[in-house]
Amino acid sequence: MKSIRRGQHLITIMLLVFLLMFGVLIYRLQTKAAFYISHSSDMSLGKVYDRRGDVLFDPKATAGTYGADYFIDVGNLIGDDSRQMTNTLVSQNRERLANFSFMLGEQTDGQASVCTTLDHTVNRRVYDRFGWKNGCAVAYNYVTGEIYVCFSKPSVNILDHYENIDSLEDGSLLCKVFYPTVPGSTQKIATTLAALEHMGYETLMEKSYSCIGGYQNLGGEVIKCHKDAGHGIQDINEAFANSCNPWFAQLVEDPGWKLSDIEETYHSMGYNINNEDTPQTIDVDGISAFTASTNLTDKTDFNTQWGCMGQGTTLVSPLQLMVWQSAIANQTGVATMPHLIDHTVSVSGKAGAKATTAYGQHRMFSPENAAHMREIMRYNGINRYADLLPGSVVAVKSGTAQIGKDKTENSLLTGFVDDPDFPVAFCIVIENRVSGEVTTSQIAATMLQELKTALDN
Amino acid sequence: MLKNGLRYGSAISLLLLTHLSMLGIVLVRGNYETPMDLVWLAVAVLGFDLVGIIAASIYRQMTYTLDLMLLAILNMSLIFQSCFGGVDFFSNGLKHLITSAAAMIACELGFLLTRNHEWIRMQKKYIYIVIGILILAILTLTGGRSMWITFKGFSIQPSEFIKPCFVLVCAASIVELHKKIKILFFYVSKDTLCLCAATLVIFGLQWWCRDLGSLPTFAAIFGCALVCRLCYPRAKINKTAIAAMCVGGVLLAMIAWMLAPSYVQDRLHADIWADQYGKGYQQCQALIGIARGGWLGVGPGNGKLAGVFAHESDIVFCTICEEWGLLYAGLTVVIILIMLTTVLMNPPKSYYHATMSAGVVAAFIAQMALNIFGSCDMIPFTGVTLPFISEGGSSMVTCGFLVGMLKAGQSPLFHHEVPRRKKKPQEKPPVRRRADA
Repeated sequence: MKSIRRGQHLITIMLLVFLLMFGVLIYRLQTKAAFYISHSSDMSLGKVYDRRGDVLFDPKATAGTYGADYFIDVGNLIGDDSRQMTNTLVSQNRERLANFSFMLGEQTDGQASVCTTLDHTVNRRVYDRFGWKNGCAVAYNYVTGEIYVCFSKPSVNILDHYENIDSLEDGSLLCKVFYPTVPGSTQKIATTLAALEHMGYETLMEKSYSCIGGYQNLGGEVIKCHKDAGHGIQDINEAFANSCNPWFAQLVEDPGWKLSDIEETYHSMGYNINNEDTPQTIDVDGISAFTASTNLTDKTDFNTQWGCMGQGTTLVSPLQLMVWQSAIANQTGVATMPHLIDHTVSVSGKAGAKATTAYGQHRMFSPENAAHMREIMRYNGINRYADLLPGSVVAVKSGTAQIGKDKTENSLLTGFVDDPDFPVAFCIVIENRVSGEVTTSQIAATMLQELKTALDN
Repeated sequence: MLKNGLRYGSAISLLLLTHLSMLGIVLVRGNYETPMDLVWLAVAVLGFDLVGIIAASIYRQMTYTLDLMLLAILNMSLIFQSCFGGVDFFSNGLKHLITSAAAMIACELGFLLTRNHEWIRMQKKYIYIVIGILILAILTLTGGRSMWITFKGFSIQPSEFIKPCFVLVCAASIVELHKKIKILFFYVSKDTLCLCAATLVIFGLQWWCRDLGSLPTFAAIFGCALVCRLCYPRAKINKTAIAAMCVGGVLLAMIAWMLAPSYVQDRLHADIWADQYGKGYQQCQALIGIARGGWLGVGPGNGKLAGVFAHESDIVFCTICEEWGLLYAGLTVVIILIMLTTVLMNPPKSYYHATMSAGVVAAFIAQMALNIFGSCDMIPFTGVTLPFISEGGSSMVTCGFLVGMLKAGQSPLFHHEVPRRKKKPQEKPPVRRRADA
């Protein structure tokens, strides 16, 4: 009988293991059902709102209820439920928007919704300020991480239901804020930070190089300045404000530091150098923003120096340029991570927890050098961009990026408002800008002034 | 004294109540075009119940629980299958009714063949021959590396029939285990050696036919047999040896994992959601279906999984969850588990029946786990059938036969005169007239 009992024990063990696994299955279904149903093509989704309750996405929206181009500024950021665009807020948060519970099943009149930090009114005004020009703009609170403004032109009108998809301009279906672009001279922020980290503030302030309109580097190639007559002898403050390429080429070549020093700071800021690292992304509530990359080979090499000035193969997303500003503005060297979702509401109407501020995983540069960088950028802002936001100092760096073989130029401006009551960092890109057209500083002025008014109210 | 849990009348009332409540759900929430669709289904279900109850009364054994539970689960299965994608008994359920009837007959056959442990033990060489014939049939009649024999639109899967035969060769008596020979440093019984050889051949066949989905079921049956053989009285197997064998088993599994063909590797490492409309289509749709159904389901015939390939077999658990809800799908699983726990209620009286019952339970548990947890992405998806529920004649007949074997362990026959005993009465230990344990 003992051996028969052993057989019984064996059967009991098998049954218990199966029951245990079945229990795990029920738990998984209970907790992950919303995720499963979010992959269904015919799931009833809730709405997305901006910070004031304006609707940014409504699955039942029509031109009659909202206006023909009501969603145009957020078309490729918030997206829709058609799955034509995948890197959008709706596509990446279907689980949170699903009007569904495992207990009650699908609820077509459910109250699931996502409330964002975006200000639709300001967003639309800045979008319209671009006029016929294309580009993108993003602004966020560098203390809390709330994104206030984020759009990309050309955009897509989701109320057209992609019937005109063949005639849409290139780039309409993606928000360029999250995709890499040539940063131009805004890259000089990263290069200056590298110099501060490895040369020290006093040494850098003592550096002065001459610009006569061009500089023949140690490799024998000439780095030209945008000012043919040259800037003369400058220190870092002047060279940064003048965005002087020959000065920065001489800084890169300076015997006081090594290429590995530049690489180290770039690495800590999130650059993928020479494709040696696995490409990373910054997560913004499910939306992936691509991180920076560049190629550095030799301090005396033209392309390396060109890359340190934000040209050639150097690529940074506008979002990342903006995020770096938080580490400078806060004088911590740690990035404040941006977020779009303020809170969610469940299918039963219960509000979820409010989003909390998240920070970068590591310190990119020292707080002291963040403070020094802030002063350099403030110097530029006070002397050249004083009228961006009357009554406040806006620390900025502009850039002009040469794109493609025809060398068309994108205009960039990134910076932050140095005001604890209005802590906003931003980045603006205007594509193919030529003289006489709307400038990045004009758009920045509109954005900051509108935003200040909106937030004060 | 044998236990049945419920009185015969109460058990029949519960059985009828279950089916009537299900038909009521179909009436209220079901998707049917005309009331006649429902009438035909009701006639089939209640008719099958009536025939089953009468048959169970005629062939009533010391334990009737298994008979009635088998009838309950087969008719539940008939209702499920008839409702997938819309209530239509003649299109969806008629074939299933026929295979269910075949399963009932197979159950009785399995019971009659195996209830006398001494007789069935002596037929082991013939069982090996049957396995050999089935393997030959697979190799010669399936037309390539397949498990299916198709003849004039009618398909059978001989590998399913190997399962009960394999359980029977895995079952052993203590007498067989005591007859040991020394190989190298080990004393092994001849029966165990034959079993190992047969296992290797079956595993090789599964590998050759690329039907690795059934392999874990055979492995579970063999594993059970091995444990029973290691732990029989006076086996003199110490804990170190058992631990070493466990480590060896794990190593073998790891090697098999690494050497598995590319299509198996794909399934082992698949992220179904990354390929929702490709290789992960079936499972993704299955999980979406379960979520859509929730606890109470969308109603019989209202599910969308009915349009997905193998909704009535490989992902049938999910199809039931979608249409009937997790509550009913769970009830189905519970009924099958109760069938298996009857072995614990009425323990076998012989060591042979104990090992046979363990093998049967292992086969059912493994197959249920592979189907349910595989389709729900908890383990690799293998595409095996869910016992009693999935459509498929071979599977239904095999499951019926296995339940018959389970029943045999609980209603054994001890006083049957075995011809071989008459010839050699001196070899028969007196105690084995009741049980050899």
